[in-house]
Amino acid sequence: MRALAAAAIGLAAAFALVLTVTALGAPGGKTSPKPLLTTVPEHP
Amino acid sequence: MRRKASLVLLAFAVFFAVLAPLLRWYAFPRLAKIPPDEYQTAVLEAKPAVLLDYGTMRPKKVPQVSIVQTLRGNVAAAKKAGKAAGRDVVVWDALSYIAGPDGKMVSKIPERYVFDAHSQDPVHQGGEHVDGDPVRREGIEFKWPFLTEKRDYTYFDAQTRTSAPIHYKGTRTFRGLEVYYFEQTIPWTKVPLPKTMPVEGITPETVRKAGTTRWYTTKRMFWVEPTTGAPVNGEEIHREELRGGTLLGDRDKVTVFSGHVKMREDYIAHTVKLVKSQRQLVLLLTTYLPWGFLALGTGLLALSLVLEARGRRPGSDTGTPDEAPAPPPAPAPAPPVAPASPV
Repeated sequence: MRALAAAAIGLAAAFALVLTVTALGAPGGKTSPKPLLTTVPEHP
Repeated sequence: MRRKASLVLLAFAVFFAVLAPLLRWYAFPRLAKIPPDEYQTAVLEAKPAVLLDYGTMRPKKVPQVSIVQTLRGNVAAAKKAGKAAGRDVVVWDALSYIAGPDGKMVSKIPERYVFDAHSQDPVHQGGEHVDGDPVRREGIEFKWPFLTEKRDYTYFDAQTRTSAPIHYKGTRTFRGLEVYYFEQTIPWTKVPLPKTMPVEGITPETVRKAGTTRWYTTKRMFWVEPTTGAPVNGEEIHREELRGGTLLGDRDKVTVFSGHVKMREDYIAHTVKLVKSQRQLVLLLTTYLPWGFLALGTGLLALSLVLEARGRRPGSDTGTPDEAPAPPPAPAPAPPVAPASPV
């Protein structure tokens, strides 16, 4: 019975971690102020 | 004490064993995405090339033509298109600027490419266009999806505004990276004239009124790093012609551009370096962490079982307080000592 409870705790923690991380996602960011180039740049 | 430790280890073993597949098949498809604020440039060159001299209307061999390609993620447009589509969307505003040997503009084609940030499926929202003409893309453009497969893909051709298969032609090694090589050939096709022409006074309308049409063919080649889906090198054998009409005098056709376009060396080196680092991030989620967690989970489970088995061994001095060994049986009453019988 205790073994089952321990396994359930591990399972729940794994799901909680993954669901939280995926729900947070990545920050949106901002559109770059750099222009669409109309000259040949020297270096990347 | 040992049995308590084995239960804690069991919980961790399950945690890591479950985390491994969840990370690979649940988290990775949701976390791996193209950022909406991407900004990238690439320079390609044709050395030498043939260009139409609009002054004489005759093709001329030139030492070099450069193609400057910029991709800029439009975050505000992506949010708007994402809301309308109900998913994570990326909007790329792109410009292909072609410069002659003197650096002057030969052609410039703006584009808007809207696609799913995770799968790279096209999204028909947010005003996708090529040179101001609304288009409806099928397939991919510029980049392949994460975990690219060894198969043909549908690739959008901006000149014809249509999609066609791009064929997987084998696995190669490029600058120390394993890459998939793809090839697409667009046969001679009548295509629209660019909205911006290189010479003042010549507009798409004047060319059209003269009865002249623009035709194009290309063989495009991509070397794609399959984990990230990013092309690390690209080439095109590209030809354009003007055909028919009064503009060409007594000629049927005239070459507008002809050249073998290759990515400039410094951009190849930059892209390879960037892709090598990005590849590690993708591999972390698809391979390193899932396999590492699975191994850790298995190890912890084995350790937990060992501790549990030791805890149950008879004569073991272990045991949790609430599972303390049963109290020793009450001492049996001593048998009455019989008086020594006289011998």
